[in-house]
Amino acid sequence: MIQLAKRVIRQTINDKRSVMLILVAPLLILTLVYFLLGDSDYVATVAIDPVAVPAPVIDALEQQELELVDITADEADQALDYLQQHEGVDAVLRFPENSAMDITLYEPSTKGATAISEIQEAMAAINPSAEAEVSYVYGTQDQTLFDSLGYVFLALFSFFFVFIISAMALVRERSRGTLERLMMTPIRRGEVIAGYTLGYSVFAVIQAIIIVLYAIFVLQLSNEGNIGWVLLTMVLLAVTAVSFGATISIFAGSELQVVQLIPFTIIPQVFFSGLIPLDLIPYHLGNLSYIMPIYYGAAAIKGIMVYGDGFSDIWGYLAGLTIYALVLYVINTQALKKFRKL
Amino acid sequence: MDIQLSRVNKRFGDTAVIKDVSFTVAAGEICCLLGPSGSGKTTLIRLMIGALPADSGTIQFGDTEMPNMAILKRLGFMPQNDALYEDLSAQGNLAFFGGLYHLPKRTREARIAEVLDMVELTDHKRKLVKDFSGGMKKRLSLAIAILHEPDILFLDEPTAGIDPVLRRKIWAQFQALKAQGTTIIVSTHVMDEVVECDKGALLYNGRLIEYDTVDRLLDKTASGRIEDLFFAASESEARS
Ligand SMILES: Nc1ncnc2c1ncn2[C@@H]1O[C@H](COP(=O)(O)OP(=O)(O)O)[C@@H](O)[C@H]1O
Ligand SMILES: [Mg+2]
Repeated sequence: MIQLAKRVIRQTINDKRSVMLILVAPLLILTLVYFLLGDSDYVATVAIDPVAVPAPVIDALEQQELELVDITADEADQALDYLQQHEGVDAVLRFPENSAMDITLYEPSTKGATAISEIQEAMAAINPSAEAEVSYVYGTQDQTLFDSLGYVFLALFSFFFVFIISAMALVRERSRGTLERLMMTPIRRGEVIAGYTLGYSVFAVIQAIIIVLYAIFVLQLSNEGNIGWVLLTMVLLAVTAVSFGATISIFAGSELQVVQLIPFTIIPQVFFSGLIPLDLIPYHLGNLSYIMPIYYGAAAIKGIMVYGDGFSDIWGYLAGLTIYALVLYVINTQALKKFRKL
Repeated sequence: MDIQLSRVNKRFGDTAVIKDVSFTVAAGEICCLLGPSGSGKTTLIRLMIGALPADSGTIQFGDTEMPNMAILKRLGFMPQNDALYEDLSAQGNLAFFGGLYHLPKRTREARIAEVLDMVELTDHKRKLVKDFSGGMKKRLSLAIAILHEPDILFLDEPTAGIDPVLRRKIWAQFQALKAQGTTIIVSTHVMDEVVECDKGALLYNGRLIEYDTVDRLLDKTASGRIEDLFFAASESEARS
């Protein structure tokens, strides 16, 4: 088993692309995600007819982080046309006689949402009784999307890259005939899978450390809990990924087919990993998450990083992952019977 | 330890690939599986070593049925395709397989040097296998098969794609291994190589058409060329 693990390590190190995929690609993508989900400082543009809007409102709007554009009464009446013709404008604000306030948006988007929230703040400034105080049990109001969703990516990366590398290596081992050759030596079937898992675990540990340190100390991802538990969860997830890769490799005839199977193996897991709150998924489809290894990892990491959970809170998820890995281990060991009954 | 095959059959889907094959390889002999491409040589070897289950019939090493751990330790196998780890060096491949046989480190290193020398790869031992030529891969594959000094050696077309000079050297190696008591089962589609062997098993479309000592097989032909036996088989198959 140690022999096999040593070989996997040596082989992976000799293949520069695998090393890059495990150690560099996650950092690259994490950085990208950081910029995509981070604070954008977007300033929304709102068009008003200065004649029709009361002066105190204009004053209040000017206090907000908003770009104000003056339009004529005609343009305000034709708000839909105006927005279609002026791409840079996110919203038209009007005060018609029979209603309090009328906001027309170009489309339901984050930009529009920014405009609305700034307008609401301006209104609250005029009329303090309308002001709403928002507070959170976990986190703060000025956390970015990266802070609240970053943990999902830690889970995804620890699973995905190790999965790809190990599934491909095992498919190659089948198609090149080295697996048959291996099975003609006095190695036990269980040792083959265990050796593979052990070999990739070494990379999983290094990968987890690099990703976590980078996310927390360089990208300043907020973390309420103990980094050690995060690392443990990520390594456990990666170990499950090796077993998962080995199982998938049974169904793949070539390395290309591993890639073709990604829509069935990885993409559903992305949706159930916490990007979308499971309670919001209709028809109880959220329960599907229980058959997805990433769910257990992501839930544990979320517990630690967002809620500051300790081992007593997350052990259930870790147990779920461990059982998952053990079941796959048994399946994989049985599948090797195809190469040698013994 | 003799290897006995008795009424072995194997189908892949609808096609019968090995049909009712029975023969016994005596310990210490070189037995040649001879047959055109697609005649079932590789399949027969895989059946014998237990990499494939037979549909019917028995395969025994002495009194033991394959696969068996104790026998796997004494068995060497060189597959037809190269079955090497491309991202490891020649030495890395040998060290890995040596480790699987639990050779002690000292013995292992000495044996690795010995077999590398045997297949003339000592100068390339640190090179990654992906940078090897076809012939070099073949030689490394052979080196791995004999690394642990097996008692029974299965070689699937070991000399295909190897130049004539080296081919002769490799056959000399096989003779040396035989002299040490190794049983060798070697497949080939090169008819000339049969003269190096003690016994010849002639496979044609999955059927064993002849099994005898090489001398007697050659006597059966008018020209002294083994091909004639296959021509006769193809004619009789066409008639039936
Ligand atoms: N795994 C397999 N699945 C289906 N058919 C196979 C398989 N392996 C071999 N065959 C078929 O069995 C026949 C014998 O093949 P093989 O034993 O490789 O012949 P040889 O080694 O003599 O060239 C061929 O017709 C081949 O197509
Ligand atoms: Mg063949």
